Amino acid sequence: MSLKRSAEGSYQGSSKRVRQTADQEDSIMDEDDAIPPSPPEDNSMVPRGATINLSALTRKLAESKRKHDTDISDPNLSSLDIHRRQQNALVSHIFSTQDFSFLHLKADHASRPIWISPEDGHIILEAFSPIAEQAQDFLTAISEPVSRPTFIHEYKLTSYSLYAAVSVGLQTDDIIEVLNRLSKVPVPEQIVTFIKSCTVSYGKVKLVLKHNKYFVESSHPDILQRLLKDSVIREARIITTQTDNSIRANTFTTSKAPTKGNLVIPGTKEAEKRKDGKSDEDLFTSVVGVEGDEVDEDDDNVHAFQIKDTQIDDVKKRCNELDYPMLEEYDFRNDTLNTNLDIDLKPATVIRPYQETSLSKMFGNGRARSGIIVLPCGAGKTLVGITAACTIKKSCLVLCTSSVSVMQWKQQFMQWSNVTDRQIAVFTADQKERFAGESGIVVSTYSMVANTHNRSHESKKMMEFLTSREWGFILLDEVHVVPAQMFRRVVTTIKAHSKLGLTATLVREDDKIADLNYMIGPKLYEANWMDLAAKGHIANVQCAEVWCQMTPEFYHEYLREQSRKRMLLYCMNPKKFQACQFLIKYHEDRGDKIIVFSDNVFALEAYAKRLGKPYIHGGTGQVERMRVLSYFRSDPRVSTIFLSKVGDTSIDLPEATCLIQISSHFGSRRQEAQRLGRILRAKRRNDEGFNAFFYSLVSKDTQEMFYSTKRQQFLIDQGYAFKVITHLDGLEELPDLVYRTKEEQIELIQSVLIANEADADLGTDIKSGEGDLAGTVTSKDFGMPGTGSSSSNRFPTTHRTTGSLTGLSGAQHMSYIEQNKSVNKTLPKASSSQAAQRNKLFMKRDKNLQQARKERAAASGSGT
Amino acid sequence: MRAIKGVLLTCDAAVKQILLIMNEQQSFIIEDLDDHHLVIKADEEYRIRRQLETELEKNTYTLES
Repeated sequence: MSLKRSAEGSYQGSSKRVRQTADQEDSIMDEDDAIPPSPPEDNSMVPRGATINLSALTRKLAESKRKHDTDISDPNLSSLDIHRRQQNALVSHIFSTQDFSFLHLKADHASRPIWISPEDGHIILEAFSPIAEQAQDFLTAISEPVSRPTFIHEYKLTSYSLYAAVSVGLQTDDIIEVLNRLSKVPVPEQIVTFIKSCTVSYGKVKLVLKHNKYFVESSHPDILQRLLKDSVIREARIITTQTDNSIRANTFTTSKAPTKGNLVIPGTKEAEKRKDGKSDEDLFTSVVGVEGDEVDEDDDNVHAFQIKDTQIDDVKKRCNELDYPMLEEYDFRNDTLNTNLDIDLKPATVIRPYQETSLSKMFGNGRARSGIIVLPCGAGKTLVGITAACTIKKSCLVLCTSSVSVMQWKQQFMQWSNVTDRQIAVFTADQKERFAGESGIVVSTYSMVANTHNRSHESKKMMEFLTSREWGFILLDEVHVVPAQMFRRVVTTIKAHSKLGLTATLVREDDKIADLNYMIGPKLYEANWMDLAAKGHIANVQCAEVWCQMTPEFYHEYLREQSRKRMLLYCMNPKKFQACQFLIKYHEDRGDKIIVFSDNVFALEAYAKRLGKPYIHGGTGQVERMRVLSYFRSDPRVSTIFLSKVGDTSIDLPEATCLIQISSHFGSRRQEAQRLGRILRAKRRNDEGFNAFFYSLVSKDTQEMFYSTKRQQFLIDQGYAFKVITHLDGLEELPDLVYRTKEEQIELIQSVLIANEADADLGTDIKSGEGDLAGTVTSKDFGMPGTGSSSSNRFPTTHRTTGSLTGLSGAQHMSYIEQNKSVNKTLPKASSSQAAQRNKLFMKRDKNLQQARKERAAASGSGT
Repeated sequence: MRAIKGVLLTCDAAVKQILLIMNEQQSFIIEDLDDHHLVIKADEEYRIRRQLETELEKNTYTLES
């Protein structure tokens, strides 16, 4: 993506370039007159537009500039240097506003892997550098990954990412220092000021729940003083009558800051826990130094004042406004009021290194920080959540998006930890349980908890139970789908000490992601997909986009139809049918297990029936579903199944190694990632040279092309490359190719045209249940632009109408007549080419005739 | 009959379908030869090309949109 963007950048530049060349002309003239070249700094100080640069180009340019000393009066300049300088001045205009040659390269720049754009804080990393791994660790801590393809990575420094960095204990000076070490050029002044301005206030104030009282805590008393000058915060403060030392007017309770001490996250190896990076590269001791510093800093005394529970929200908000956002931490080891929950991971459970890293970010100083952990689908998000719960060992509330995943969470808890059946309870529309004893785990859905409408007596009582007690830990699954409103309701009604959000795709089509930053906390960790794939934690996937020509007949209808039916037409494209058949055949012969995804149920059934494969959609009964799935898992003869949206998340098929997409939900990046997730956990992923395959079949020249490219963006940013296949070799030779003849194709198009408008809808097979959320499988709006979340709880398939008996028995058969007409319309379509071959004179007469006929028909139609 | 200056247009099947639809709004096709060839009015050529370009651009994803 960085490539793409920089291409645009240069494109934007080119429009300016026209203007620029005029100014540059003079300087070039000067050069020719052998006057010492003016250093390029002159024009480089002009603020530039926010564009990203092709790092390679910039680097090359900067490299050639390196010898170009600013000190022009240097008498030791060789003629070569002078020559270089002149050359540089000649090319600098090509880069116009993107000429960063004023940033002088350090002498050993080749061994330093990053370059920082002075304008917008984008960081370009050479992922092939030998020290790239350390640099990446550091960069993920302080910035947000934008794009991570194979060789060049792009990160972005944002205020939120710096906030996150501070929250894991990094200090401003260390950030700048390490950046300086890694950077090819000195860290630009703008960036230094940006980092300083962001970090100076962030993380200095902490909100801590101690002995069930909220404290505002800081190691900088002056900041607390400043906060107390604010009326809102002052009012919220509880003045404790302190008898001991009242020398200062505003006494803060002072205590020793916590250190990580002997906290061990279960599942990690204790020894590894201790290493803390001391074995790391000597070159980057600074990174280690940072951790050392943190401990020193924390050993200082911290100061705190207590605030009222009821005004937590106001204080939090006020602090944000004052630019002192509060970090929320939970000192769970010293929490004596809430009873401990005696759970632990089973001894056999071992967590993977990246899961450990993500958790160590969360429990960095022995307290639990609130935040979000981003891991790819199939990389064990659940286990991270469970491990966190087992570390905190307090009552825990797990919220997920649907009742299906509620059961999955419960089952996972039982599988990985030694929690007993009595300690874990489920709260859904159907089941309302309570755990036995003082503490336990409750698994529920967001909407069950956030619901404000009338509830049954039972769930009301259950809610009282939930709100009346204090929770040590709240786990938020698939956190990206939660609407802000609902979320706020959850957070205000449930009193929890720490929050952890889990997600695979921190993207939304409606850009509401930023809300999560202040509602839960900063992003603590984001895994690199490619990295995990390389280490065998998730499967290697080959992605391909297969372009299928639309047949002329289908394309003609496509151009005529309105948007909903259009979708059906490009799904049912016979060429796509053939491509699908070919790919299934090819991969079945290789021994792959194939899932074919179609959002459109009509297309799903048509494909599956025509190709003779089993299929599952929302309408498929539970028994049949189980039977089909078990066949797919075990029977070598059933190696392909067709799945509708139901398969996006809730069906787990570790056998699948190949995935074909024939219809999808518009431009939903999340769905694309979720579907890819279906094959990421492939059982065979650790086999030598194993590749999973992911195909998207796309009808050419249709909107699908647009959506398809859009959908891929997220995966591309994660480093996946989509190959485009324009022609499938050997397709024509396939012995029993479907829809080979034009007659068959026309038959198909007729069946498509008869199809109801409703058939063109996506995901009509799944009704949304009570506990389900907008944006999940079961809802229709998958972040599609245009549809609001208001449509989320509709029941799409069944609706009751009343009608007269005559109407129902056929007297109102206008609709049938209409449909027949539309089929007829397709027939003259074939003959329209004949008409075109006629002389123009006749054509015009035909047109007039047709017009007259239409008018007559319309007149008679309205007459009856 | 009055002579019309025409241009032979070679295109793929999909583009031809787009042109046929465009032709319904404002007629410019003189002769529809086969799936890949059309004869169109010479003085309309520029307009057609431009219109076709915008039509095809609709299905292309760019990062700005």
